[in-house]
Amino acid sequence: MPEPAIETRDIVLRRGASPIDERVAAGSIVGLAGLDGHGQEAFLKTLAGLDRPVSGEVRFERHAVTGFRQAVARGIAYLPRDRRATGIFPALSVLDNFAIATLAQDVKGGFISARERRARFARYAERLSINAPDWSAPITTLSGGNQQKVLLARALALAPRLLLLNDPTRGVDVATRHVLYDVFRELAREGMTLVILSSEIEEILLLCERVLVFREHAVAARLEGADMTSAAVIEAMFGRSAA
Amino acid sequence: MGRIVARLGGIGFAALLLLVLLVVNVWLTPGRFQPSGWLLLLGLAAPLIGAAMASTPAILSGRGGIDVSVGPQMGLINAILIKVLVLDFGIAHPLVLVPAALLIGALIGAFNGFLTTVVRIQPIVATLGTYLILSGVTLTILPAPVGPAPVWLKSLAGPLAFLPLGAVALSWWFISRSAWYDQLMAVGSDDRAAFTAGVPVTGVRFFAYLLSGIYAGAAALMLSALIGSADPNVGPTYTLIAISAVALGGVSLAGGRGGLLGAAVGALDIFLLQNALTYFNISTFVLQIAYGSILVAAVVLTALQTRAVAARVQHV
Amino acid sequence: MSSRLRFDARVFGAFAIAVALHILGTWLIPGYSAPFAIRALLVLASLLAIASIGQTLVVIVGGIDLSIPFIIGFANVVAAQLYGGGMAFSLVCVIVALGAILIGLFNGAVSAGLGLHPLIVTLGTGTVVQGAVLLWTGGFPSGSAPPAVSAFVSIGGSTGPLPFPPLVPVFVLLAALVALVLARTPFGRRIYALGSNPRAAPLALIRPVAMWAAAFAVSAFFAAVTGVLLLGFTGSAYGAVGQPYLFQTIAAVVVGGTALVGGRGSYLGTVGGALVLTELNTLLIGLGLQPATVQAALGLVIIVLLSLYGREPAIRSTI
Repeated sequence: MPEPAIETRDIVLRRGASPIDERVAAGSIVGLAGLDGHGQEAFLKTLAGLDRPVSGEVRFERHAVTGFRQAVARGIAYLPRDRRATGIFPALSVLDNFAIATLAQDVKGGFISARERRARFARYAERLSINAPDWSAPITTLSGGNQQKVLLARALALAPRLLLLNDPTRGVDVATRHVLYDVFRELAREGMTLVILSSEIEEILLLCERVLVFREHAVAARLEGADMTSAAVIEAMFGRSAA
Repeated sequence: MGRIVARLGGIGFAALLLLVLLVVNVWLTPGRFQPSGWLLLLGLAAPLIGAAMASTPAILSGRGGIDVSVGPQMGLINAILIKVLVLDFGIAHPLVLVPAALLIGALIGAFNGFLTTVVRIQPIVATLGTYLILSGVTLTILPAPVGPAPVWLKSLAGPLAFLPLGAVALSWWFISRSAWYDQLMAVGSDDRAAFTAGVPVTGVRFFAYLLSGIYAGAAALMLSALIGSADPNVGPTYTLIAISAVALGGVSLAGGRGGLLGAAVGALDIFLLQNALTYFNISTFVLQIAYGSILVAAVVLTALQTRAVAARVQHV
Repeated sequence: MSSRLRFDARVFGAFAIAVALHILGTWLIPGYSAPFAIRALLVLASLLAIASIGQTLVVIVGGIDLSIPFIIGFANVVAAQLYGGGMAFSLVCVIVALGAILIGLFNGAVSAGLGLHPLIVTLGTGTVVQGAVLLWTGGFPSGSAPPAVSAFVSIGGSTGPLPFPPLVPVFVLLAALVALVLARTPFGRRIYALGSNPRAAPLALIRPVAMWAAAFAVSAFFAAVTGVLLLGFTGSAYGAVGQPYLFQTIAAVVVGGTALVGGRGSYLGTVGGALVLTELNTLLIGLGLQPATVQAALGLVIIVLLSLYGREPAIRSTI
């Protein structure tokens, strides 16, 4: 097994839950599944440094993850789940929404260079095939799928080596989904590590090499290869034995 | 049960402060706190308590809901009652003056409610506009203080001091048992969710401003009783101090949390604080510094306490 | 797209109303457009607009600052007192500015850090500051401004060939700078983002407490600047000189199209709002109304203006 990109050392997500000891290899795509509220989201947020585990430690490229800003500075990006509540800035333009986490990259002589910013966004707009007629219009003028792509572009602009995706295709149309799937695979080929939480099992089976199924804030099953079937995931989700 | 805990959690600090201040006040000025003097004290504190209670419904309605015109409302109603009705027209009967006060309050409240919920101007600016209009009109019809108020009205700040406050409290007790109250709290904490659930958000908010106006009418009676005259300059001073009292009493300025009881306790705190500080005969400047510091300290402590409670609940 | 157009329309609307009011004034009142009257108007509007710089930032970030009038009074009195006591004016300015900035930092950090409503926090600190100033001076401040400050704001002054005191051209540059900072610096963009969606901001690497502290510090700083300029304007210190600015800064911001819910607005709009309020005040006083009536009319006009173009979206459309 190659050097793990991120590893959890016996992290306990909730008092009384079993510890989780997990390694994710660089360049792989790992899925997180489980019934709502069974710890998969807490696990993802713990990886991002947004939540603190009850005990144990998260290490990214051999450094402990101690908080969100530190995690981002080390090369982790996180795409939040609820686009409207914690993702977009509705009053701001498409460009602003894209650049807000990486504002310093466009600064020239103390001020933001509009040209620089447009050029930077253009790269992502093409790669993610973002359909936005007016980049200066508020982001709310875009469809849900295109808003999500802008948020993904915001995360990718951080040039992360680990991308944490919290249900990235929720409320996104089918065509956009497939664009996103292709992008995720391509990113992994380029060496980025992806951890994807999804509420749709099919999506995980389609994208991931490995899936962690959560139950009661612990990993109930680790499935990969031929064992990774819809039936096996569902059984683990509901806590039935795989027999 | 949860509701009671939530209510008391907010005013916990204000209630504790009330206890401490009561002890301090009784210790400093035992004479004033004889049972025989209680009604007089209540009459003294009533306008601030009334103003704080009047400020509360609009704040509870959320989304920046606030009525900064409560003070000038009290001022204008005071001027109309004493200057216009009693002195100019010679009408002094309680059965005219009391309904008139409440009716004028209701009209102004309805105007504020119309501006904020139907025209949809941001509440602080809309009621600021009303503030300027009302205080301007008051000064125009009453350039200088005049008096006196009828004897029965003055008795509302003496032997009958419990009457107006009791009436407001009783009405709120009934209201807090109504469906409207639950809707108000729902709108105040999350208006979109309430709207989606079928709550008539606009109507609920409108009634909150209307109620603030009616209570301001009651507070104007308390003010008129206390000062025993018409004075154009006293009313507006109550606005900001009343809002401070509301915040002190654990009413969330974001809406949806708190009630009239908390506001009243917060107002009593401020009254007792002023009373205690006055005892030391210190300059009003020091009084002002102490008042501001305690206000900030109190809201900071309330916030910390709310946080501690929330953290405990989460860990259980 | 449509919301951007409407947004610009609000800013444009404020300036259009200011011009309309001016035309009305010229038509109704003889001498309304006399050079001296226009100079006075520009000076007063500049002072209000400077005091409203911080209020604009604070409102965009999602707060409100009621401490502005108290800090204006603080700067006004402290500057006069220290300068009157023989201190070098540059040192006086540094002390006043630092004091104001500290108060502002406290306002913003406490409001955001503890989740307290800034209305209460700024009201509380404002009350303390005012009390402290009164205590220090015993209620009777003394001292005055150096002649240079008076010349800077004097209505009769001129700037080279320009028939205005230096305040007016300097303010125009300052306004351009503020607009540029808001539109084209990371600080400005973060202010808008935080006001637009406070919950999304930390995930976009925005520090809410730091941003609030900075916005309130800017507000306090420009309130202090206004206080010192007012000292030059009126000639002597007066602790309550800032009182009219409590509501006027808020009104200027809102008339200029900035929404109190945060995330939307512009400083250019606030400048328009300051012009509208100054025109209105001048017009009403010029019509011979009593101060009390002027106040009532001002309140009415603010309501009418906002009902024309300052309306909030219906809740239906925010779902």
